[in-house]
Amino acid sequence: MTRALASAVAGLVCVAAAIALLGYAPGPALRALVAGSLLGPAAWTATLLKTAPLLLTGLAVALCFRCGVWNIGAEGQLLAGALAATALATRGPVGAPAWLLGPAAILAGALGGALFGAAAGLLRSLRGVSEVISTILLNFVAIHCVALAVQGPLREVAGAYPQSDALPIAAQLPALGRVHAGVLLALGLALAVHWLLFHGSVGFRLRAVGLSPRAARFAGIAPERYGALALALGGALAGLAGACEVTGVTRRLYEGLSPGYGYTAIAVALLGRLHPLALIPSALFFGALEAGAGAMQREVGVPAEATKVVQAVVILLSTALSVGRAGSRRARAAEAAR
Amino acid sequence: MDLEITPGEVHALLGENGAGKTTLMNVLVGLVRPDAGRLELYGVPFDLSRWSPAAAVRAGIRMVHQRSALVPAMTVPENLGFGDPRGGPWFRPRRAREAAQALARRYELEVPLDRPVDALSPGQRQRAEILRALDRGANVLILDEPTAVLTPSEADALFASLRRLRDAGRAVVFISHKLAEVERIADRVSVLRAGRCVASRPARGLGAAELGRLMLGAAAVPGAGPVAEHPPAPRGNLPGPPRLELRGLSAAGPDEASRLCGIDLAVGQGEIVGVVGIDGNGQRELEEVLAGVRRPTQGEIRVGGAPVAVAPRPLRRAGVAHLSGDRDSAGLVPGMSLAENFALKGSYDDRRFFRRGRFDRAAARRAVAQALRRFSIVPDDPDFDCAALSGGNAQKLAVARELDGDPPVLVAANPTRGLDVASARFVHELLRERAAAGAAVLLISSDLDEALAVASRLVAIVRGSLHPVPPGSDRGAIGSLLLGAPA
Repeated sequence: MTRALASAVAGLVCVAAAIALLGYAPGPALRALVAGSLLGPAAWTATLLKTAPLLLTGLAVALCFRCGVWNIGAEGQLLAGALAATALATRGPVGAPAWLLGPAAILAGALGGALFGAAAGLLRSLRGVSEVISTILLNFVAIHCVALAVQGPLREVAGAYPQSDALPIAAQLPALGRVHAGVLLALGLALAVHWLLFHGSVGFRLRAVGLSPRAARFAGIAPERYGALALALGGALAGLAGACEVTGVTRRLYEGLSPGYGYTAIAVALLGRLHPLALIPSALFFGALEAGAGAMQREVGVPAEATKVVQAVVILLSTALSVGRAGSRRARAAEAAR
Repeated sequence: MDLEITPGEVHALLGENGAGKTTLMNVLVGLVRPDAGRLELYGVPFDLSRWSPAAAVRAGIRMVHQRSALVPAMTVPENLGFGDPRGGPWFRPRRAREAAQALARRYELEVPLDRPVDALSPGQRQRAEILRALDRGANVLILDEPTAVLTPSEADALFASLRRLRDAGRAVVFISHKLAEVERIADRVSVLRAGRCVASRPARGLGAAELGRLMLGAAAVPGAGPVAEHPPAPRGNLPGPPRLELRGLSAAGPDEASRLCGIDLAVGQGEIVGVVGIDGNGQRELEEVLAGVRRPTQGEIRVGGAPVAVAPRPLRRAGVAHLSGDRDSAGLVPGMSLAENFALKGSYDDRRFFRRGRFDRAAARRAVAQALRRFSIVPDDPDFDCAALSGGNAQKLAVARELDGDPPVLVAANPTRGLDVASARFVHELLRERAAAGAAVLLISSDLDEALAVASRLVAIVRGSLHPVPPGSDRGAIGSLLLGAPA
């Protein structure tokens, strides 16, 4: 906890330094950052809308990391989910009952993401392809699939821009005040993933594989199978994030739909120490940062990218600290064995 | 440890695994700095406080490892030139090739010079390694089990080369497990046991039995395991009907020696059968097959007369428990709690802890709390991280888990490795207890003392095959059997 807070604070300090280096006064910039993310209902709306996809993709990353699988492909899985949801909502079967369209679009998103994750999972379990490489590369595949879709089969009927038609009202996520129901869905899934990991037998085996594949194998758990399963489940979570984005926020599919949620997700997962419930504040932190960065750019002119420094610092600090911990644990074990 | 190596001799180092051979060699090549002692080369003392790999190279001590340390994509002359400070920043291909050729001719170490190293046979690669060592001016050449990767004719060629090196006045240190080789090539034999050099004698006239006796010791060195004078378990009493049977079991291994070939073995009710051998003769593979994680290429496992699929879950369901000294990888999951580790093996079918997709943490806590008290494991907190347990306590936890539910068959592989004497005795007591209660116990151990003390019958595993040890064999006889000498 203290370690997480320290990482976050260190990240913010670095942002202030970056802003100063860029030649802006850090004071007003940071004020705009806070005002745009936390002060007032509009700011909170923006923050929560960013938090939902970050939480879902963060869970996708954390679930896989728990199983010892380095899922760097949440971005691609998110886009695959967005693509699948849009395809179903705009090109789905005609004449289906309207009430079905919303849930079906969400489900299609989960399925699309799961398939994308499973692709990397199968490559890993059957052919031994490193998931780090395959998930990163599949991100590009997803980006280009979206580009292809919005310029081809899913392009709006009016044909003016490379984007899909607006999703039918029936396919859109119900509103919850100023935000959409996806926020609630993300919170619910954080609880669900927590239950799965710490109270479910599937999650028990998944964690065993992540902590010691060899011991898991001797206990009758097939590490390859669980690695693939983790990627499929993670893909489904990230796919849901994409589905919620198109059905709840953008209402259309277009290129550049995600500002890199799937990458920020890695920082979200690490700052939350891969703990599903701790991911909630962690996602909120990065969601606020994302929302505040927009406000900062509008009002003070500081490029929003300056806030990405936080991600970098958090990722570096978290990995350095956890590596240090593993090292000291090994040292302790060696000492005990003597 | 005192050891003297003379130029112009082939000096064989013999010793069991864990006798200190590797440590000694690591000291010589500078990887490990000794705590105390002196090192003299040609009578010149070396400053051991600044001993390092670079210093060892300057002193002319070179090692040829079992695994090639050459750059696979480069040819032999390129490998010789690689990292060679002579010749400055330039690499002159023709000159390097000529130098390599001259060196190869001189010692008759024939190696193709124009093909990349990864296209060479293991024997050629080894000759290339020797060439490189000689190229850098090796006075002392250390070879670590050099024949492990060679065919018999390649081994003959290697021996011829080693003799030429010896005649050229270099010292050759030859580490081996194989008695026949040592008899053929060595001028002098040193035997290591428990970190000491117990004998250093001219090789001529030393018999296999004598070497076996030296290597395994007439009596255990204090602290090196359970006391050898322990009254041997009753031998020859009639065991019950076979509980565990291996029939014609074959399985692949990482190398020739560890491949299992047609293993037949029956362990009766109430019997403790000890499988002894030099490490790397298939013990690990046998353990893995019995744990279900290595698929046999042939043969079957029967438990209580019925064939069982070789996979972890069917074997466990049939009542085969598996206790391994390889704690870190095989037994327990560091980072999971004691309760979780206790439940680990039942994650598919133990309905006490896993029901309808749910892990019953409270039930696992209760069960492990009982086990922690019974085996006096410290700390007795079910939520304690298993990674922070001491070696002895971790092994006790593994024992508690495996003996839970009184399995009729117990496979124990080096179950006391790394344990102190008291903990080891505790584990041995439990093995006897289980056998007395009617279980069939298979003890795979690289510690002969342990096997002698606990087992009611011994089998030797040599190059993946089992050979019965005649009852009443002494250490010398067992030793030469393990070393593969003809009986």
